[in-house]
Amino acid sequence: MPVSNIIQIQDIHKSFGKHKALDNVNIKIKKGSIFGLLGPNGAGKTTLIRIINQIIEQDKGTVKIHGELLEKKHVYKIGYLPEERGLYKKMKVGEQAVYLGQLKGLNNKEAKQRVKYWLEKFNIESWWNKRIEDLSKGMAQKVQFITTILHQPELLILDEPFSGLDPANSELIKNEILQLKKEKTTIILSTHNMNSVEEICDEASIINKSKKILDGKIHDLKDKYTNNKWTIVYIGNKMSFTNAVWGGWKLENHDSINEKTHVATIELLDQLKISDFIKGIVNHVEIQEVKKNSPSMQDVFLNVVNNG
Amino acid sequence: MGEIWLIIKREYWTRVRKKTFIIMSFLGPILIVGFIGLTAYLSKGNKNNYEILVFDEGKMFDGVLRNSEKYNLKWSPDDKNYEEAQELFKKDDNLDLLLYLPSNLIKTNSMTAKCLYKTIPSSSAQKHLTSIINEAIELYRVNKNNIKIETYRAIKTRVNLDIIDVENQENKNIQRKGIIGFIFAFFIYFFILMYSVQVMKGVIEEKTSRIIEIIISSVSSFKLMIAKIIGVGLVGFTQFFIWISVISITSIVILNSVIPDIYSSSIQSQGPLTVNSGESAQIIEFLFYQIHWPSMFIFFGIYFIGGYLLYAGMMAAIGAAVDEETDTQQFLVPLTIPMIFALSMISSVIDDPSSTLSFWLSEIPFTSPVIMLVRIAMGIGPSSVEIWEIILSISLLFLTFIFTTWLSSRIYAKGILSFGKKASYKDLLKWMKS
Repeated sequence: MPVSNIIQIQDIHKSFGKHKALDNVNIKIKKGSIFGLLGPNGAGKTTLIRIINQIIEQDKGTVKIHGELLEKKHVYKIGYLPEERGLYKKMKVGEQAVYLGQLKGLNNKEAKQRVKYWLEKFNIESWWNKRIEDLSKGMAQKVQFITTILHQPELLILDEPFSGLDPANSELIKNEILQLKKEKTTIILSTHNMNSVEEICDEASIINKSKKILDGKIHDLKDKYTNNKWTIVYIGNKMSFTNAVWGGWKLENHDSINEKTHVATIELLDQLKISDFIKGIVNHVEIQEVKKNSPSMQDVFLNVVNNG
Repeated sequence: MGEIWLIIKREYWTRVRKKTFIIMSFLGPILIVGFIGLTAYLSKGNKNNYEILVFDEGKMFDGVLRNSEKYNLKWSPDDKNYEEAQELFKKDDNLDLLLYLPSNLIKTNSMTAKCLYKTIPSSSAQKHLTSIINEAIELYRVNKNNIKIETYRAIKTRVNLDIIDVENQENKNIQRKGIIGFIFAFFIYFFILMYSVQVMKGVIEEKTSRIIEIIISSVSSFKLMIAKIIGVGLVGFTQFFIWISVISITSIVILNSVIPDIYSSSIQSQGPLTVNSGESAQIIEFLFYQIHWPSMFIFFGIYFIGGYLLYAGMMAAIGAAVDEETDTQQFLVPLTIPMIFALSMISSVIDDPSSTLSFWLSEIPFTSPVIMLVRIAMGIGPSSVEIWEIILSISLLFLTFIFTTWLSSRIYAKGILSFGKKASYKDLLKWMKS
């Protein structure tokens, strides 16, 4: 088994009563990558995350971390930010973060130092003695993020880390995630926010109705679901444009920027190549710009979830 | 082990530092002692001194009837008859009682004297008046028959009847000891319920604040539950020790200031002919020499641990099964009924501590902590409870708690991850089985 895989999930099955939550799921996650775990609500993502966190046990299959079967000692290597955030409301920020750090194997002194370091880094050192119930939701999220990464986990599991954050804090957390990646932390990002997947994930898998239906590098996924759609900006009139090439393409959309300049979205059908299409229109209109429309992760997601 | 210790520490410290804990620790026992003191004070009657007008029809009691500061006797003027004496008594606000001693009182053995009041005299005042009249008549007759006072004292008797166990002669007046047992039983009920409910509340807090998922990604849910139960239990013990210390200190202070009073007042009130040792002194003898306090506290400790562990596990399961505290009622009621039933059965147990009913109530784990303490207070031995019964009861309690904790942990593990719906008994059963 290649050493570069930090997590290897094999043939995982899990049922709750009659409901199948996970059905034969296989996933490999490379060390130091950011891995997107995607899927609609109720697809089984949280169940999978809970299995990796040893909160619940799978019915069948194995999870290996660094090639070893998952066991108790591995909880110290994992950091987990659940989708439903929570801290002890009556406990003070500092005390609580130190406690959670200690539960993840830090000693008291280490934990205190690191909490201090992070509070200073986020410019919130004055919060040490504040109770969680006195913080705003966004503030509490920051504290929660700190408690998740305090013990410098090798594997960080973030379930919707950006939900409920304002753009500034979102950016802050995003940069921290990228920084952690540089420091060789592997990150599993479970989210519905496809923009963030495109922005920061290296690989992703999509789970739907308890089955994994797709996985791979983000780039490859997009290529796989690519369509032959192009955006062409030209000067001229619409009739000349549409009549220049006969057959083999379809006009998807047509907009005018001003009286003479237009934007057309076309889809090439059959064997028609974009170069042939351009050759056909180049004498009728003046071409300003030609750009391939690559699919977004959103498109990929919708495509596989709705059609798969 | 490390993380269990960490959780115990957190559960313990967050509770012990709470204001409510500190207030309860000191206010609780002071209130208890204060309440007992107040009851004693009120039952003594709020009247300190009585001004008593004596209408002595036969003119035979002057100088014989014992006068004292507390019961100050005034003699009705010789020229007034009984009706006029009554008028005088009604008009004079300083007079509290009118004592009518008919002339034939001294002649026969069973005559009735009368005491007229404006506000009813306390029972101790009534007792006192009866005793000084008896004393006066006896003294009159002693003199009349030329008997020496010393001879009379040697003859006069006042017998107390001690109810004594033939096998264990030290063990006497067990019914009265049952009262002490009742107090202990009430405390153990209170402590078990209060602290096991705290476990439930702690679980609900972790579930509703959603921190539960973070904690159980570090420790197993079973360890978390056990650590929480131990941590809260230690808080209970801490509170118990504080209570005992505060109660001991305040009662010693109070007794020190009150006992001399009781002794001196009971000695002072003794006339030349009275030989009874005084009720208060008897109570003190009972409290200090007849109740075996060390064994009471040791068994309180053991039954608190057993009873608390039995209930705390189930309370944890209830906390895990609900989403908010208001949903707990349906599960709490059946759990607390056995304990309340046990409390209501205490008087029957005191009545006959070695009956079959007493035996079973003190063996069944859900009632045994409450009932067994009553029986133990009444003495270990054939008249109340045998050693083997105690050993069996404790063993049953601990075996049951292991079983219920195991069952509860299964409900707990499923419950803490189930959000948004109220669990039914059917769900609990399903979680137990799976």
